[in-house]
Amino acid sequence: MSFDVLFNQFLSGIARGALLFLVASGLSLTFGVLRVLNFAHGSLYMLGAFLSYSIWKWLLIPVYGFYVATLLSALVIAGIGLLIEYTILRRLYARGWPEQLLATYALILIITDIVKWFWGGEFLSIPRPEPFTKAVFLFGFPFPSYNFFIIILGLVLVFFLWWLVYKTRLGDIIRAAAHDRDMVSALGIPIPWLFTSIFVLGAFIAGLSGAVTAPYGAIALGMDIEIIVECFAVVVIGGMGSLPGTLLGSFIVGQVYSFGIMYKPELALAFIFMVMAIVLVIRPWGIFGRPER
Amino acid sequence: MEANNTTDKNISWLKSGWWLILLVAAGIAAPYVISEFYLLILGEALIMSLFALSFNLLFGHMGQLPFGQAAFYGLGGYGIAMLMTKFQINFWLSFLAGIGLAALAGLIIGIFCVRLRGIYFSILTLAFGQLIFVIIYKWHDFTGGDDGIQGVFPPEFLKTPIAYYYFVLLVFCIAAFILWRITNSPFGYILKAMRENSERTEFLGIPIARYQLTAFVISAAFAGLAGALWAPFYRSVAPSTLMWIKSGEPVMATILGGAGLFFGPVLGTFIITFFHAYILGFTHFWAIIMGTLILIVIFFLPGGILGFIKEKIDNRKKTDQ
Amino acid sequence: MKKLAVFTVFLCIFTMFLAPVMAQAGAPVAKAEKTAAPKAAAKADTQEPIRLGAIWDYAGPCYMLSESAVQGIKIAVDEINAKGGIMGRKIDLIVRDTEMKVDVGARETKDLILREKVNFLIGPCSSGVALAVQVVHAESKVLRITCMANTEGQVVDKFTPYVAQVVPNTYMEAIAATRFMNKKYPAAKKFCTLAPDYEFGRREEAAFAEEIKRLVPDSEILYQAWPKPGEKDFTSFITAIMAQKPDAVHSSLFGGDLVAFTKQAAPYGFFEKIPFIALYDLPVFIALGADAPDGVMAFGRGCFFMDPNPKMMEFVGKYRKVRGAYPDSWAVQAYDSVYLIKAAVEKAKSSDTEKVIAAMEGITLDSLRGKFTIRPLDHMGSVPCYQGVIAKDPNYTFKVWKDVVRVPGDQVWRSEEGVREVWKKTGITR
Repeated sequence: MSFDVLFNQFLSGIARGALLFLVASGLSLTFGVLRVLNFAHGSLYMLGAFLSYSIWKWLLIPVYGFYVATLLSALVIAGIGLLIEYTILRRLYARGWPEQLLATYALILIITDIVKWFWGGEFLSIPRPEPFTKAVFLFGFPFPSYNFFIIILGLVLVFFLWWLVYKTRLGDIIRAAAHDRDMVSALGIPIPWLFTSIFVLGAFIAGLSGAVTAPYGAIALGMDIEIIVECFAVVVIGGMGSLPGTLLGSFIVGQVYSFGIMYKPELALAFIFMVMAIVLVIRPWGIFGRPER
Repeated sequence: MEANNTTDKNISWLKSGWWLILLVAAGIAAPYVISEFYLLILGEALIMSLFALSFNLLFGHMGQLPFGQAAFYGLGGYGIAMLMTKFQINFWLSFLAGIGLAALAGLIIGIFCVRLRGIYFSILTLAFGQLIFVIIYKWHDFTGGDDGIQGVFPPEFLKTPIAYYYFVLLVFCIAAFILWRITNSPFGYILKAMRENSERTEFLGIPIARYQLTAFVISAAFAGLAGALWAPFYRSVAPSTLMWIKSGEPVMATILGGAGLFFGPVLGTFIITFFHAYILGFTHFWAIIMGTLILIVIFFLPGGILGFIKEKIDNRKKTDQ
Repeated sequence: MKKLAVFTVFLCIFTMFLAPVMAQAGAPVAKAEKTAAPKAAAKADTQEPIRLGAIWDYAGPCYMLSESAVQGIKIAVDEINAKGGIMGRKIDLIVRDTEMKVDVGARETKDLILREKVNFLIGPCSSGVALAVQVVHAESKVLRITCMANTEGQVVDKFTPYVAQVVPNTYMEAIAATRFMNKKYPAAKKFCTLAPDYEFGRREEAAFAEEIKRLVPDSEILYQAWPKPGEKDFTSFITAIMAQKPDAVHSSLFGGDLVAFTKQAAPYGFFEKIPFIALYDLPVFIALGADAPDGVMAFGRGCFFMDPNPKMMEFVGKYRKVRGAYPDSWAVQAYDSVYLIKAAVEKAKSSDTEKVIAAMEGITLDSLRGKFTIRPLDHMGSVPCYQGVIAKDPNYTFKVWKDVVRVPGDQVWRSEEGVREVWKKTGITR
């Protein structure tokens, strides 16, 4: 294999990893602070994609309509996240995680049917927005510029989350709360408020990533289940609730899949789960995860 | 304290005991009373109940929530289906092999999973379940991939719906009885102790990892049994029975019926199965109804339906006294 | 406590002994029901409605296809009922959802047969569900017309007389598409394939491999990609295929997967560099809009732009009135299925399954896609396969095909000897 071929496969893996990171970071963030494994994260992602299509169609802004639609749909999903947290999850924090897990599982069922109801299950698509319609050339080999957009967005998100978690006062609270919830509460910091804002942020990321995938591929029913399984693989490999872990996990999954496709296409998907199993056998809590107390 | 507990148990056992006999009698009489279709649903409900009971051994009695139970269920089905269709091995041997396969997978996966607690345990079982799903799904030449395996016929005398129903009922009764014995044995009490406080249990000198592993393997074997019962029921098996979505079904059934009681999962499964068959008769928006039902139960009936009923009865008893 | 336990065990053992006895005792009951049913049916032949069960997958990628298929069925049923039904008997349509799960599919099929007492079944969408459902209805001896799930397994490997196929099966479709591609690019020798990893994709590519070896003996397949159905990111597949530098790519992607692939492959200049064929049909064109690549080869199963005959266009008009949208090929095939049942019942002068099956064998139907015949041997319809090239058309807001080729099914289907050869392996005698 020549270098440019391998390099291209590597880049494809990066693009895939970036897409996964967009979705998985929200899942991981929510888990890190709330200790809630949000099964419905994928459903919010799907809802974000469908919503961005409808908003884009309704706006009919010629060139930059997509960006407006993306932002609006992410905001709407954040609002839905607020609703979910406020009406459902908040009442379950005292009840233990099995109920929370099952509640988010119930939300998958509900959201899937809502999407069916409103959009009828058609697969939809948004044309790629300017200026990301064409390809850029690397070593004389084309690479879609929209993939770069996704990678850049992923990097921006990494930076933003890193800044939020490690450089702000809110971040201090987040890290403290992830470590010892009661202590933070004892210091007079309103935990419910913190939880709500983190959940809303997670939902925002889900909506954003869903909207961003709309021009990338197709929007279709079932995309929620597809993505959430891969996100589980990502966060489990990287370590639940860890930002660097999620980044590394998406990178690994993207690369394993990409090169798996090249060398043994029929087993590419199995490779991801094998890597995951190996990681878990060595470090049951993931590469960057902390052993639970 | 201890004595108090056992007398309590005696009363509840007596109470549920009479119900049990009535229910078994009803089960035996069912083919004479209900139509063939409802008999089919009843059989399905019994199989899924067994699946839910296997789940609840870990969840209700040991306090761990496995989310990969469908993998064992599916492996049981695949075990019997592959041996029968690919290797022409007789039904009974394949049936046992299906259970054995699930138990073996349970042992291997269990070794890694029992090291973890709480939500991490759930995620790890989910991940391993998904691994098994992907292997079966992708190994097209051997397992048939997405199309699954068809033509898993039970022996001639079990071929009629009524005969197979009795077979299911019989297996269910025996399996439920064994599971009930397990949960009420010293072994079961240790599981309960681990649920309440695993650290303290460990300090008592009990090797909790070994106990958890044993429970995990037993649970996997019973899930495999349910799968091995199911495959000949509709004569086929497919990878979708191993998916994590399927693993959610016993969780829903258990929470709906009540995890704290032995027969909670059974009640939950019966409600879901019959309700599902009924709802699909006129709409395909089943998921939203089920989702809402689950939320309602979580919020308003924290102990599940059976838990709620038991609480009511207990309260009445207390006021009577 | 012990007493009760012993009692339960006793009950269990009692049941064990009782079971075979009861089964035999129960069997006459079941038989009595069964013998009663034909009697009722015989009497009913003159007045009672014919009950038609539609079993479809209202979930995931199948949701939309199922919706349009059921719409096609409904239009046909309404037409027939408006004209007085089949031999004076109205058609009752009962629709059921499988959730695209084999277990639910098997149970709902049983429900349709046992509780709704349907005479015929139409559906489903997913090939995996179809194979599972087939075991159930064949055992209950109910005829199913399959008009979307097109795996050859239904009529060849796992043949049962209780199924008939009015959609080109995977073998026919792939053979026709391969020949079309070979005619367009006769010099192509090195190929890659790209197909969704399930029954349908696996079988299409197997047939492609078989046929291309026949047409170009020194051809070779360099690489086969199997994305899972519902794949959202094809980038890695695209770069892996392009790295192989094939002369052409045969694909059986369809629906949302094909939309995603097309959008992601275009920036690589994939379609300018490599001749490509896939299942580009109406919903894909509508979703892709201007992004549909002109000049790329396509195959399909009979949409209005593939076969704009007057009968088809009349159906298009009706469908648009009801749904406000153009019908895709799924609706067309489902519509034809209802008329196949009508023709067979009228020929048999009865709705008795065995008689209808006998009448259906060799029947010729004047369908929306022209005339086709049901082959008596394996109940495969000689339905046409279509191929064409993607192009703009001023009449439509979406892209359609040009240079359409219509290949009658009897030119591409597996020969009777070929079918028998497979049967020898799978143990089917007929």
